[in-house]
Amino acid sequence: MLLREKIKLVVPGEFSGRACFSALTAFWRRIYSKDHAQPPENQISLARTFDRRASSPELRGLIDTLKTIRRRILANTLLRGWTKWFVWLLIGLIVVAAVSVKLAGALLFAAVLATAGAAAISTWTWRNRPSKYETARRLDSAAGLKDRLSTAIFLGGIEDPDGMVGEQRKDALARFTKVDARGYFPVQSPGNIRRASVLVLVAAGLFAYRIHHKPPLISLLQSTARSQLVQSIFSPIVHAMEKDLQRTMALVTMKPDAAGEETRRDSAASNSEDLWKANDDQGAAQDQNNAADAGDQQQDQMQSPGNQEGDPSGEARQQEINSQSQEGKNANENADGKSQEQSEQQGPEGRQSLGQSLMQALKNMMSNSPNQQSSNRQNQQPPNGQGTPQSGNSQQPGATESDKRGESRGNSDAKQKATQTASEGAGSQQGTKELRKDQETHPVNAVPDRVALEASGFKEQTRMKVATETGTAQLAVRDQSPQQDAVVNGAEQENIPARYRFYVQRYFEHADNGKQ
Amino acid sequence: MTSSVGTEGQTGGQPLGQQAEFLAEKMAEVRREISKAIVGQAEVVEGVLIALLAGGHVLLEGAPGLGKTMLVRTLAQAVALKYSRIQFTPDLMPADVIGTSVVQENGDGRKSLGFQPGPIFTNLLLADEINRATPKTQSALLEAMQEKQVTVAHTSHLLEEPFFVMATQNPLEMEGTYPLPEAQLDRFLFKLRVPYPGREDLHDILDRTTQGTPAIVSPVVNGTQILEMRKVVRTVPVAPHVQEHVVKLTMATHPENRENLLASKYIRYGSSPRGAQTLILGGKVRALLDGRYNVSMEDIRALMLPALRHRIILNFEAQADGRTPDDLLEEIAGKLCAK
Repeated sequence: MLLREKIKLVVPGEFSGRACFSALTAFWRRIYSKDHAQPPENQISLARTFDRRASSPELRGLIDTLKTIRRRILANTLLRGWTKWFVWLLIGLIVVAAVSVKLAGALLFAAVLATAGAAAISTWTWRNRPSKYETARRLDSAAGLKDRLSTAIFLGGIEDPDGMVGEQRKDALARFTKVDARGYFPVQSPGNIRRASVLVLVAAGLFAYRIHHKPPLISLLQSTARSQLVQSIFSPIVHAMEKDLQRTMALVTMKPDAAGEETRRDSAASNSEDLWKANDDQGAAQDQNNAADAGDQQQDQMQSPGNQEGDPSGEARQQEINSQSQEGKNANENADGKSQEQSEQQGPEGRQSLGQSLMQALKNMMSNSPNQQSSNRQNQQPPNGQGTPQSGNSQQPGATESDKRGESRGNSDAKQKATQTASEGAGSQQGTKELRKDQETHPVNAVPDRVALEASGFKEQTRMKVATETGTAQLAVRDQSPQQDAVVNGAEQENIPARYRFYVQRYFEHADNGKQ
Repeated sequence: MTSSVGTEGQTGGQPLGQQAEFLAEKMAEVRREISKAIVGQAEVVEGVLIALLAGGHVLLEGAPGLGKTMLVRTLAQAVALKYSRIQFTPDLMPADVIGTSVVQENGDGRKSLGFQPGPIFTNLLLADEINRATPKTQSALLEAMQEKQVTVAHTSHLLEEPFFVMATQNPLEMEGTYPLPEAQLDRFLFKLRVPYPGREDLHDILDRTTQGTPAIVSPVVNGTQILEMRKVVRTVPVAPHVQEHVVKLTMATHPENRENLLASKYIRYGSSPRGAQTLILGGKVRALLDGRYNVSMEDIRALMLPALRHRIILNFEAQADGRTPDDLLEEIAGKLCAK
């Protein structure tokens, strides 16, 4: 497009080869004139102006010698540039041959690069070639002529000079004849020619090897990865990383699920056992991953056991939860077992490589986390207008058919949770009964539980409307073992691996049930 | 790019080439004559001769007893010039240097004010220990050194050419001295440091001064020839890259030059254009003394320190870091050559 515009400028209304040539010529002239319009401090452009000057006939011998020297300088520069470029190309080819499986494309690409690079270097070198003046300066420096020749070239345009210029020219020519000017600038092989030769040999050998063999670097890496030593070094690290990742993922998914867990727990507590069964049926129909997610979620739910203790139906639900979590665990274990089986099927020799096992572990965890979040979203229910967790029941099937007992139980669960939260998870049956009585006449002022747990994410907690009436709520207080309190509050939960939290939770619940 | 190329064929009746050869020969003779009295100090002698032919003045700095005054006196004898010496003291007044108007009585008994020239009316003036005089007296030399004239009672009096001032100062005894102002320093073409003589030179000095009679220095050139030589010097051509190097070197001493971090860090005031003029003129003389007809980069490098060391003023940071003008200039020149 640009060329067309230029052609139109040069030859309006015509687009032919001739016009194209004239446009290119004009473009070249413009570039050339720009180059000569550079400021005088640019020595190259300054010196190049001397090339176009007519020199005195006395200086022809000097100028011829300077031309020869200039050609040699140009040849040396070209050789140096080409060698450097081919060294880099050879290094690239060697790397490609050592790593890549396909060589034909790489060879073709290298050939194209070599040609293009050589052309670019030639162009650049020709463009920056030394002028006569610059060559004279170099010869002055090399032969110790103290700028005699460059000054003579500078004053070379003066015909038949007299006075000091003539004397200077005579002096320069007299000194010039005494030195072997061409001997100072021989065409010599580049300094890195040996390196290039070695690289050529290496590349040739590597390509010959590659005719019948795989890339050596890949083979070496594979054999190294399979070796017992590497396995013994990296397997503990991989296991430790896997555990850390699991723990991190469990901690990450725990916080955003707090509100969802709360509503889920309340709705679950308010439903009847039949509903739980229905839910169990639905849960049983879920696929393996969902089961695994549910298991994790149940683990999280088990960390806030206030409602379970306060509600008699909580135990039944707990059993269901346990079964679900067991299923989830089994699913996880199955998934892990599958991967283990796969690795075992490959036998000692066919063990998965380090990278593959890492990828497998990451995939497992990544597949768990989004499913878990989606299931959390499904289970998460918005609070009702009164701000009680009971409103979550409206989304549960058969919630309208639930009996009064179930509702009151749910309310009592919600209240109990609130009181537990206010008193750091404390609660008792007696307190629950009193609350039930109060609830018949007064609205429940629920307070989200696990405030202490989620102190860092306080803004994300479900906000409940709290009536400002005095004496509308009574806080239930019950005896609670300090150990359980610590587990509920999460003070020690962070130190317990996620997979063991459920068992620890169950241990404390059993102990509590035994007391009761 | 301009060049000071002399195109006139002859000066003083002879071809320029012959005059250049004559100059080189005569200066070699002057060196030989000076070497009869002055042992060693080849660089100082060369600097003095270059300044003499370039039409500038020289400030000699060195400890007492190194032969500064002897050098000036010997030079005056070798070039057959009128010579006078002024010992600068704190109570020296400008009139004591340049002269004053006094009442004179003519033949018929009439009295009138007449100008009594001072010791400055000479060809070769030795201003000994110039930094001991007050700035007022020192400034009396300003007009004489630059304009080659003195003005007394609204009357200007031209000094006789060649007028060549050689001032000395002692760097050791700084108490009770008045350091030369920058304007005064800039008027000196070169500031030459007179070093201590070496072992062999010291033996030679002892042999010459303690045995026999002092050497007699015979005149080699006169003032007129020196003026002719000055004209020849100006015809020496300068290649553009040499002149470019001089410009870059001068500009590299300017602290405003952001490209040179060294100058902006340590130099308060850089070289004036007089510094570049000195380098080119001195380079021309040096080329002729070397038997060349063109200025080379080597001439510029050789004259850089005497031409520029007194033209750059260092700041407090340079003094705190113990930097001297000489090492800063060497570093700047090294960086320029590396580019």
